[in-house]
Amino acid sequence: MFVKLACIIDDDRIYVNLVKKIIETKKLCHNLLIFNDGKQSIDYFETSLANLNHKDIPEIIFLDLNMPVMDGWEFLDRFTKIRDKFSKKISLYVVSSSINPTDINRAKSSPNVHDYLIKPVNIKELEEIFSRKNNNTIS
Amino acid sequence: MALKTVNRVLDDIDVGYWELKSNDDLYWSKAFLSSLGYSHKKANVSLNFFIDNLIHKGDCSLFKNNFFAFLKNGTDFRQSMLIKSKKGKYKEFVCTTNSRVFDKKNEKSKFIFFYKRKFKTNKELKKDKFYYKETAEMAQTGSWFIDFVKQKSYWDQQTRRILEYPEDYIPSLKDSTKYYPADHSKFARHTFLECAFKGKSFNVEIKMLTKNGREFWVKALGKPVFNDKKEIIGVRGVFQDIDAAKSKELSLQRTSNIIASQNKRLFNFAHIVSHNLRSHSSNLTLITELINSFDSVEEKLDLLGNIGDIAKSLNETIEHLNEVVTIQTSTSKSKTLVSFESILNQVTTSISQIIAKENTTINTDFSNLKEIDYIPAYLESIMLNLITNAIKYKHPERNPVISMRSFKENSKPVLEISDNGIGIDLEKFGSKIFGMYKTFHYNKDAVGIGLFITKNQVESLNGQISVESEVNKGTTFKIVF
Repeated sequence: MFVKLACIIDDDRIYVNLVKKIIETKKLCHNLLIFNDGKQSIDYFETSLANLNHKDIPEIIFLDLNMPVMDGWEFLDRFTKIRDKFSKKISLYVVSSSINPTDINRAKSSPNVHDYLIKPVNIKELEEIFSRKNNNTIS
Repeated sequence: MALKTVNRVLDDIDVGYWELKSNDDLYWSKAFLSSLGYSHKKANVSLNFFIDNLIHKGDCSLFKNNFFAFLKNGTDFRQSMLIKSKKGKYKEFVCTTNSRVFDKKNEKSKFIFFYKRKFKTNKELKKDKFYYKETAEMAQTGSWFIDFVKQKSYWDQQTRRILEYPEDYIPSLKDSTKYYPADHSKFARHTFLECAFKGKSFNVEIKMLTKNGREFWVKALGKPVFNDKKEIIGVRGVFQDIDAAKSKELSLQRTSNIIASQNKRLFNFAHIVSHNLRSHSSNLTLITELINSFDSVEEKLDLLGNIGDIAKSLNETIEHLNEVVTIQTSTSKSKTLVSFESILNQVTTSISQIIAKENTTINTDFSNLKEIDYIPAYLESIMLNLITNAIKYKHPERNPVISMRSFKENSKPVLEISDNGIGIDLEKFGSKIFGMYKTFHYNKDAVGIGLFITKNQVESLNGQISVESEVNKGTTFKIVF
């Protein structure tokens, strides 16, 4: 297991629990950060940056779009502003149940979005994402 | 001989004649023949040839009747007819007799005169005027003229009739504001002045006002009148009462707006359904996959609890959607006159505990508008949602104060509900505040359905809801019914 820290930003607690279960049973990474909306997570990232605490920055982020208080789009805007300041390579995946082409194109056109995954994600897909990350880290 | 003199005169003024010497013998005048293109010498036109070939078929039988009555009884006649020229073209002539013109030496000789139609007879002018009046009346069209030189306005009778003024009414440019309702007089003046000073003719639809104060739609056409020097010396125009058609058009427009807004809500609803149900179905798919991937029964059973959670939230979503569907289908519920005061009392009674617990003050002013024609259940639901919202999102440092007032604005009933709560950043959330499942605060009660329902209820009855807010100061919702 190479990925140390991954992060899920999603307000659907059932979904979060299921993905957490998959990650744990398949031993895809060491630790998992979970936030229920964009505001909580961007606060976390901004604080980590201020404290120069780069080791608490996840290598993979799974971001939902429809969330209360701060949605995925606003998170993306705020995240783009600080992203380059982290030395770590971060892969961000938008994970949403929206099949609206406008959403998909908008997300994919953002340079910080690695890919757009339509819910439900499946176990194989998750395993591939983590193993790809590992290969990238090695090379 | 007198006839020769007559002949010379007639040759000059383009009038032809026949001279009938006896019943069988006729003489064609030079002028008549040449006006038809026949040469005087070659022509040998018999009466039969004239009747059979030269007179237009439509005029023939009338002419025969007239002609033989004239021969027999000396009854004068006058008729217009088409006569074929040598080139085959029909020309219009007036054919007339005058038994007082005769050759004194030979009293049997009779004359029939032909002349080209140039001017309308008085009778026909009258006929034309009659048709014009009939047309104007049937088409509900009035005409008018404003003479800048004489500084006078002229109306035809139909204009007076349409505008309900007496037949002897003298119109005046000074009174022109009386002819249009207040909200259209500016447009009327502008259109008229553009024509009077810039020479722009117009073709507009505008509302007019009768003497008795009835407003109605007209189609008004007008153009400038020029003198020889190309100066504008007046404006001439017609207008047609199109009120019936225009009213239909406007009501059609209203209907189409309603349909468009209903369609928009349905589309929105379909979108919500697909999105909100998808999140549950994808969780189900994921959990099934997970269960299959596990080998041990314990692990499988462990996940079953999650299915229960999914079922529960799926149910909640469907209940919410159901609420929305109820709004779409119950717009036919009957409206009645409901009083703001009594509905508010019902609402405050039902949530009296919450109101008391949060030390809520509710100030009302329904004095300007006590009641409206509305679906009582909707007004109750709207008030309930907005009041509970105001309490839910109260400012942590002060007790909630809610102010409600009702009034009329542009002749439409309006209800305003203001609070002193935490407010909402509309620049950030403005477009989403009435959306489904949109919440903006960390609040355990926040579900994101209330304002969505309220908006749907208001709009299903063709109303509008808007919001103004300032963070930390409060929020005001305005409903135009």
